[in-house]
Amino acid sequence: MTPNSTQTLTSLSSTTTPEALPGGKVHAREHIEALEAALNRVLLGKEQQVKLALACIFARGHLLIEDLPGMGKTLLSHALAQVLGLSYNRIQFTSDVLPSDIIGATIFDRDSNAFRFVEGPLFAQVVLADEINRATPKSQSALLEAMEERQVTSDGESRPLPEPFFVIATQNPSTQAGTFPLPESQLDRFLMRIELGYPEPAAERELLLSGDRREIVAELEPIIDLDQLRGLQGAVEAIKVSEPLVDYVQRLIAFTRQGNEFAFGLSPRGALALLQSAKAWALLHHRTHVVPEDVQAVLPSVVEHRLRESADFAGHGGGALAQRLLGSVDVVS
Amino acid sequence: MASLTDKQGTGVAYQIPRNSLALLMVSQVVVILPLIVHISPWIVGVWAICGYWRTQVYRGRWGYAAGWVKTLMVIGSIVGIALSGYKSFSLEAATSLLVLAFSLKLVEMKNRRDAYLVIYLSYFLIATAFLFDQTIAVAAYELLAAVVVTAAMVGMNQLQTRVRPVASLWVAAGLIFQALPLTLVLFLLFPRVAPLWSIPLPSSVSTGISDRLTPGDVANLSQSDELAFRAVFDGEPPQQRDLYWRGLVYSEFAFGTWAIAEPLDPLPEQVDAPVGLSYEVFLEPTQSKWLFALDTPVSYAARLDLLADYRMVSPEPVLSVMRYRVTSDTGYLMDHELSPAMLARETQLWRDDNPRLREYARDLYARTGSVEGMIEAMHRRIREQDYSYTLSPPVLERVNSIDQFWFDTRRGFCTHYAGAMTYALRSVDIPARMVGGYQGGEFNPATGHLVVRQYDAHAWVEVWLPERGWTRYDPTAAVAPARIDRGLNAALSNEDRAALSFLASARMGEGGLVTGMLQFVDSLEHRWNLWVVGYDAAAQADVLKGMLGKVTPARIGIAMGIGGGASLLLVAAAILYRRRPQQRHPVERVFSGFCRAMARQGLPRQSGETPGAYVQRLAGRAQLDAEGLRTRLQALLYDPEATADRAARRQIRRELRKLRFMLAFRTAGNAS
Repeated sequence: MTPNSTQTLTSLSSTTTPEALPGGKVHAREHIEALEAALNRVLLGKEQQVKLALACIFARGHLLIEDLPGMGKTLLSHALAQVLGLSYNRIQFTSDVLPSDIIGATIFDRDSNAFRFVEGPLFAQVVLADEINRATPKSQSALLEAMEERQVTSDGESRPLPEPFFVIATQNPSTQAGTFPLPESQLDRFLMRIELGYPEPAAERELLLSGDRREIVAELEPIIDLDQLRGLQGAVEAIKVSEPLVDYVQRLIAFTRQGNEFAFGLSPRGALALLQSAKAWALLHHRTHVVPEDVQAVLPSVVEHRLRESADFAGHGGGALAQRLLGSVDVVS
Repeated sequence: MASLTDKQGTGVAYQIPRNSLALLMVSQVVVILPLIVHISPWIVGVWAICGYWRTQVYRGRWGYAAGWVKTLMVIGSIVGIALSGYKSFSLEAATSLLVLAFSLKLVEMKNRRDAYLVIYLSYFLIATAFLFDQTIAVAAYELLAAVVVTAAMVGMNQLQTRVRPVASLWVAAGLIFQALPLTLVLFLLFPRVAPLWSIPLPSSVSTGISDRLTPGDVANLSQSDELAFRAVFDGEPPQQRDLYWRGLVYSEFAFGTWAIAEPLDPLPEQVDAPVGLSYEVFLEPTQSKWLFALDTPVSYAARLDLLADYRMVSPEPVLSVMRYRVTSDTGYLMDHELSPAMLARETQLWRDDNPRLREYARDLYARTGSVEGMIEAMHRRIREQDYSYTLSPPVLERVNSIDQFWFDTRRGFCTHYAGAMTYALRSVDIPARMVGGYQGGEFNPATGHLVVRQYDAHAWVEVWLPERGWTRYDPTAAVAPARIDRGLNAALSNEDRAALSFLASARMGEGGLVTGMLQFVDSLEHRWNLWVVGYDAAAQADVLKGMLGKVTPARIGIAMGIGGGASLLLVAAAILYRRRPQQRHPVERVFSGFCRAMARQGLPRQSGETPGAYVQRLAGRAQLDAEGLRTRLQALLYDPEATADRAARRQIRRELRKLRFMLAFRTAGNAS
């Protein structure tokens, strides 16, 4: 990082309160609409998923996209990096990727006659970890440690990662051959998990007619700069939460902890993630406070990968659980 | 492993959860524990083996027992019980068999059905323990045991993945607690039916008083501090020295042993209005029929009998705490005239032994010339010569034991003195007999009742005098006056006192703080007897009469219905109150009220439905534009900065009510 950018960081820490953002709301609205429009142009017919991905970024969370190959996972993540004006690296995970392939390695430089650390692909603001569940647990954990600490340690020296730092990981459904499923502890570090799904016939027709979307991605101009992104993230923090809503969130959490169909309940980190995501969702809908609809909209993406049915020993069948949770827990006490 | 394959094809769902298996085994231990003293000791060993076997099965080391092994075990058990030396198929034998079968069930406990059987048997064993003992301590213990057994049942219904034994215990405790009101109602109202069959008597020998006394054999009179009975006086209690609790009358003597004579016909019941001392006795189980009362019972419950020698008996052995009310007349004259049969009986000496005492008695009677004079002379001899009162007298020979005591050893306790005097009187053909019972007792300061323990057991002499009837004389008073005036403790020598157990001396007031605590426990036990154990059919009849006026089956049924319903409602109300929704937000309260009203109107809110979505749905039905209402409601509920003052709340309530009326109107209109 340059000294310049650290300075912006300090100056921004005071701008996270709404008072410090005069007219921030108006700008926020414009920015959000522009971002959504640009992304929807790339990814056709996936408005909901685009919104969730944006909410995840605004809530400072890492994103896990799970779907079959060829559904536009890479496209979405690349487009996100482009429109947000962030540096972008892609790591393709395979079963023989080693931690040093991700983090970087110290090599001997013959010119300067000294050891030099060569930064790996992890040193970017948006890292696409493609097919993360094809890597061995050892390499997975190298990435996941970076996600939590936002720094990497190599040869006993800690190096900070760029700021902001987002990991967008994609994974193939764990039922496919040659996958190492992510353990619960690491799944928990992703704020959201979304699925893209097949496009609508109309959207698919448009896709077929208009050709390769990757060219469009290359042409995408950054819509907001780093400061504006931080402003949006600050605006998420400033979204207000009322007592009845916290009660609702607590009832949801309590239900997962008491119900017999859940193998285990949501952790406090899961509860925080739910509220944080709901706030970001409220921001995307230009509200200053969270309403239960926001919680319900983000809930499947936030909790599905954190829950497991007690009868389901093999996979992650959290989808039905999220629906049960929404249906069973009363919004109003 | 053969043991783990399931022959009957029962799936995972039918197996016993691990959590519950542990609790089941714990509950077995808990319910067997209080019965251990009553069953054959080897059964505990059988249980341990079965428990070990089941544990090994659980760990996958061993298999379940084969059919022939189980058959062998059952046959071996029956033979074992038969050889355990029970005289008849007594309560102990039956309990032993039950515990044994219960233990063996462990080895073949395979699926849920078996486990439930073990649980139900555990409840049965809890009930069995009350056949032996009904004290408050046992009741408290069995209540805890019931919690453990219920926890095992709770564990049976939990998922394999949620192993929470402590949580099961709490759930079980909650269930038992919720059952208490109904239990109380049933306890008060459920008819106490006379048993259709009776249990064989426990064959254990009771301590303390027995129907045969051989003073010469006793080298060390054990001073049991076990409770004999408690008594509550209606008015002012008599002096300590007048508390002679008459129980048994020993009219036969042979080979150094005093025994009760053949029973005579009961005396006719007294009809005239009783005057005298009224009191109520709570007799601890004695496994015998005799009862204790002060001289002379004139009024008592009709089911009790007063025999010709004025001892009171119960028609059946006292197996649990027995409560009876007596009025005694201290001035009553027992046997104005003595029938020839009675005279023969009370002067009978079966053998011509103890020549020195006979000689002494003849000489004394001739010298003094009267019965009173002879007794006084004997008293004087005891007082003036070196006779002493001791609990550890020398052992005497069977033949001529009284001679040996009276002239040689001169050391003994009440039975020695009373026996010597009775023998001396009978040898000169004066009707006399030895009476056994209790003397004295301690008053508990907490409740004011009298506590009589086994160490208060005493024996004295009754002599028939013309015009005065049977008259009480106590030669022990001559050797140890303190024993009669102030209780046993005062009469004990230091040597005797040192031999007492700590508890016994504490009971006698030597323990300071411990004495106080023991008295407190005693008062608790007394209240337990008074209100719970003593609540028998007769007491229940009184309560029912007071409550219902006339006791008919229909009225009892109605009372039980009402009481049971009320107790269940009480529990339900308590649960509902604890689970009441906690609404801190005033607008949420307003909205909840609206939702309830709409639900009554047939349009309930789905549980996952948000207020906004609900209002919109309703507005759509009523073909109204409720966008404004929706936004305002949402803001009031979920925007912390919105002003939710009284006016805003009233406004929103008005709007909601309007929506409700519109809907009622519309649906009514559509229907017509």
